[in-house]
Amino acid sequence: MSSVTTNPAAAKPAQPSTRELAMGRRIWLATRSSPWFLMGAVLFALLLIMAVVSVFVFQVDPTKMNFVDKFSPPMGAEGAKSQFPLGTDQLGRDMLSRTLVGLQITFLIGLTATALSFIIGSAVGLYAGFVGGKIDQILMRIVDIQMSIPPIILAITILGLARATPALVISVLVLATWPNYARLTRSGALAERSQEYVRAARVLGASNIRIILLMVAPIALPPMAFAAVFDLARMMIFECVLDFLGIGLQPPTPTLGVIIADGRKYLMNAWWIAVLPGVFLMLLLLSLNMMGTALERARNAVFEGAK
Amino acid sequence: MTKELLKVTDLSIANVGPATPRPILKNLSLSVAESETLAILGRSGAGKSVLGRALMGWVDAPLGVTSGRITLEGQDVLGANPDALRRIRGTGIGYVGADPTRVFDPTLPVGRQIADKYRAVRPEVSAKEAMERVHELFSLVRIPEARHRMAELPSKYSGGMIQRAAIVDAMIGETKLVIADNVTQPLDVTVAAQIIRLFQDLRERLGTAFLFITSSVPTIKDFADRIVVMDQGEIVEEGPTPQLLAAPRTEASEKLIAQSPRIWGTTAPESLSAEDIRDMPPALSITALRRTYKVPRKDKLFGSVFVQAVRGADFDVYPGESLAIVGESGCGKSTLMRLLTWLEEPDDGSVQFHGKNVGSFTARERFDLRAQLQLVLQDPYGSIPAHWTIGRTISESLRLHSPLKGKARRARVEETMAEVGLDPALYDKLPSGLSAGQRQRINVARAIVLEPTVLLLDETFSALDPMEQTPLIELFRKLQRERSITCIFISHDLALVRRVASRVAVMYLGRIVEIGSNHNVFSRPLHPYTRALLSAAPTIEDSPYDPNECLVDGEPPSPIRLPKGCAFADRCPVAQEACMSSDPELMRASERSRVACHFPLAALEPASVKDAAHVG
Amino acid sequence: MIATLSFLTRRLSQGALIVFLAALIVFTLLRIGPGDPARMLAGGLSDQASVDALSKQMGLDDPFIVQFGKYIGGIVTHGDFGHSYIRSENGQSVGGGHGDSAGASNRASVISLILGRLPLSLALAAAGLGLALVISAPIGIWAGLRAGKWPDSVTIMGSSILVSMPSFWIAGLLVLLVSIKLQWLPAVGYSGPKYLILPAIVLAIEMAPIFIRTWSSAISSMTRRDFIRVAPVRGLGSKAVFTRHVLRGAAVPFINTLGVMLTSLIGSLLVIEYVFDFPGLGKLTVEAVMQRDFPLVQAIAIVISTFFVLVNIAVDYVSGLFDPRLDY
Repeated sequence: MSSVTTNPAAAKPAQPSTRELAMGRRIWLATRSSPWFLMGAVLFALLLIMAVVSVFVFQVDPTKMNFVDKFSPPMGAEGAKSQFPLGTDQLGRDMLSRTLVGLQITFLIGLTATALSFIIGSAVGLYAGFVGGKIDQILMRIVDIQMSIPPIILAITILGLARATPALVISVLVLATWPNYARLTRSGALAERSQEYVRAARVLGASNIRIILLMVAPIALPPMAFAAVFDLARMMIFECVLDFLGIGLQPPTPTLGVIIADGRKYLMNAWWIAVLPGVFLMLLLLSLNMMGTALERARNAVFEGAK
Repeated sequence: MTKELLKVTDLSIANVGPATPRPILKNLSLSVAESETLAILGRSGAGKSVLGRALMGWVDAPLGVTSGRITLEGQDVLGANPDALRRIRGTGIGYVGADPTRVFDPTLPVGRQIADKYRAVRPEVSAKEAMERVHELFSLVRIPEARHRMAELPSKYSGGMIQRAAIVDAMIGETKLVIADNVTQPLDVTVAAQIIRLFQDLRERLGTAFLFITSSVPTIKDFADRIVVMDQGEIVEEGPTPQLLAAPRTEASEKLIAQSPRIWGTTAPESLSAEDIRDMPPALSITALRRTYKVPRKDKLFGSVFVQAVRGADFDVYPGESLAIVGESGCGKSTLMRLLTWLEEPDDGSVQFHGKNVGSFTARERFDLRAQLQLVLQDPYGSIPAHWTIGRTISESLRLHSPLKGKARRARVEETMAEVGLDPALYDKLPSGLSAGQRQRINVARAIVLEPTVLLLDETFSALDPMEQTPLIELFRKLQRERSITCIFISHDLALVRRVASRVAVMYLGRIVEIGSNHNVFSRPLHPYTRALLSAAPTIEDSPYDPNECLVDGEPPSPIRLPKGCAFADRCPVAQEACMSSDPELMRASERSRVACHFPLAALEPASVKDAAHVG
Repeated sequence: MIATLSFLTRRLSQGALIVFLAALIVFTLLRIGPGDPARMLAGGLSDQASVDALSKQMGLDDPFIVQFGKYIGGIVTHGDFGHSYIRSENGQSVGGGHGDSAGASNRASVISLILGRLPLSLALAAAGLGLALVISAPIGIWAGLRAGKWPDSVTIMGSSILVSMPSFWIAGLLVLLVSIKLQWLPAVGYSGPKYLILPAIVLAIEMAPIFIRTWSSAISSMTRRDFIRVAPVRGLGSKAVFTRHVLRGAAVPFINTLGVMLTSLIGSLLVIEYVFDFPGLGKLTVEAVMQRDFPLVQAIAIVISTFFVLVNIAVDYVSGLFDPRLDY
């Protein structure tokens, strides 16, 4: 008897079908082969390396002023100076080192804020979704209230009152984002809670926390990776917007938002100050959005296929 | 010979995706005559469904037709242009699949969708006429309150009702041939029996030809004129139904017939005798158990409705016996299971475990008791966490309940794995790639590693094919003998229950309506519902019960609005006035049987099981 | 009918509670922050006595909960959101330091300030959103019907690039090109509909890629649904399947995205109005925060929260019309 066409059960051990793998693993397998993901990951890694390495390689101080060399145009433009590949700003500060330090800050704040909102939001969401009942209702009402205060209003209210520090900016970003994760993970936990393996664990007497941490979280969280990647991009934009509006981190800290806001005043005669840091920011966001899109598509394909 | 309707010549279909096309169907030729009922019989994976779809001109990538021709009344199906194909599909051949819920748009009323389809294939029909025609056919397939039903969404339909609607959808364009692919598979036995009778009725009234695709011999044995047996993409045998079943000429046919469920030809497993039972206190004693769910009403500003899932269940389970609880979907089996495993509290009544009332236990006592009462679940895939190794899954029981640690724990798990027939080398492997049968063994190992005294088996064998089922049942017999475990099976599969249970309890709408020994329940059913279940059960051998004599109509009433009297009264063939007004209690009927019926069937001639036990 | 009524009653009452709590949070945040409004209003040169008097007159001495109660009471009973600390009736900042000129009489009522700026913001929002919707629907549907093929890839790439361009940056770029270099359109301020064009384009650039993605993924996931794939086998024509089932099914995710976009609109407007110096609600918000004009900030927060809540109710209601299974 040929096992190829007639007996799927017999064929299984030799040829494990992806259908039986854990969701997270299947999504990852589908994502890994996506050209979008590869392109995004390479771009992201490149920018990350540049931002990290710049600390050691460039000895140029991003805040060091140099009035002789102010408004030096970037490479390729007329009158460019080789020691300033991206030119200098109105105070003669090196744009390349400023941009790279800006990238560093963006990375640092974005990654920290995303990680924190992911942890807080998914903890609330997993617990609420899994336990259900009154606790779920109360937690979800808190989420509703938090979500009904527009993030930008929350941010400018808090930052408009107190002096912005990186920690405060991160808390504002976390405050504005955690409810999204709470909602997303809640529906994941809700779906898992009625699964048979959860019933088996309950009959064994496993506690809620044990089931959530050991069984539900490893299944419900990986599919949310796409949201975290998109959010990382959103957090980064948000952080830059706050700096740009002048209520986030303040000059002379060279964040991308601060540099672009600065450069706007000199658009007429020194376009590079505002435009070039923005190109870096755009590439960073692009890399994240490409990875996010690949992850989201893989997730949708896996979830739709699973039904 | 009547006129030929459908003709398939030398049809081959292959998976043309890979570099070397993999054949799925190999040189098939067959024909269907007008008004004929042809059954395509074969195991899952034999290529039956691919054939069924190809007959509709439905061959999706990566499959492709590599040779052959399909004609309907001389008109080419495979080569038809889109418009012609649409006409063939709408007015020539209709298709009903196994999962009719997937045929309809879930957001639109069913009646409108069928009317839309009718107008798409018969553009001359007005919208009003189309709706009238749908109504007419809804009544023909006996959908109650047809007009009201037409305006409802597919999700409001029960499995049997949506199947009827799908049949209407397939036949509304006055189709000459209806392909029915595995239509009864997801349905409960009494509903499946109704659908088969509906097909017979439609064939007589409308003269439609049917092509019935199935892997279940009993389903078609009284219905099909002719059988075509398929195996590995080929037609291996063909012939008129009685001859083929009586004298199969190929191994494939023989196997299909041999694996078909039997109820009457087998003997029941030995049961505890009445004396034994009297001497022993029950392991588990359930008294007047009730559970009602409160569901908020959507059509009112305030207020809720009450769903009575379990309404006073009573039974005892004795040490070492196997009790089966049988019932159709919605009868409260799952709720009962949750109550027995203390995942939910009953509203009323008690569960006593070896004489102690679980309701009065502290949380700690209950936790300790869990080691003694374990559950083996139905779904071999969903019940095992995919991200845990097999050893981790099984050892979770020990981590929670046993002081064993490290190597000792591992040794214990490996020992148990060997006992249930799993290679201990699989300890560090993930479950992906294991067959359903092997996964079910993991489930069993997880439950018995704690050496429980009571095991609940919730449809444990239902998801397995017959080849995997038998060794697992043997495993249970062995475990039960060696450890004298008390087993409670919950199942809808009568043939299985017949094989494994020493006593049988029949459940209907949240209540046990009959309980007795395996032999008594199967050969001398007392409750009309038990008899209806038995007469609807598809078996290869002739049933001692005439399917038409006791075939119940309709579906169980909703557990929200229960009738005042007996819950079965409106479907019961022998119901009398008393049944409408008073609800019968579960009463002792004989030494070892109890029944909840005002007019138990004892007076009926006891069906002679032995005489009926022959095939064909 | 009863279901609709029940839905609206339930959701509106829940919504009112949510807005109330949101208002309480913003009110608290503003009170615990640094800065004494009375001192600010009285001006740096005023003596402590007059600051105290002003503080008493404004009710700032009352316990916190009384202040909040009075505030909410004013809103509920006669729609009074209070008066700006800073702005006079003619919309000019009167600022601190004018001492006695800061009486409640010539300070602008918050509601009139908001209503004064609202129309321009609405016009900008409508123009930007309209542009985004008109562009995104055909592209997104076109790509969604060709999932996995080149139109799909081009759309993913295009929308990924667009969505990666921060609005404040692309605004600068457009001003540089269109206004400074080419001198086609005016860049900043507002004196006529021409001034709407650039900001609206920036808004559309921000929103269109998200709508495109929604359409394409919703359409492509609909075409993979069983009942869509079976529809031709039932004998339905492809055009009917598309309009009656595919589009209908994709409408629900689209409406949800529209809701999210509507609620994030205020953030986008705020940045864009700031960049283009466009005198709308967004710019008013930034100014109010910068000037610590608490009554104005509070009122804007409440108005926007209310809008949030209403949009969410509307989204759920309309989704329910397209997919009656949704349990509103």
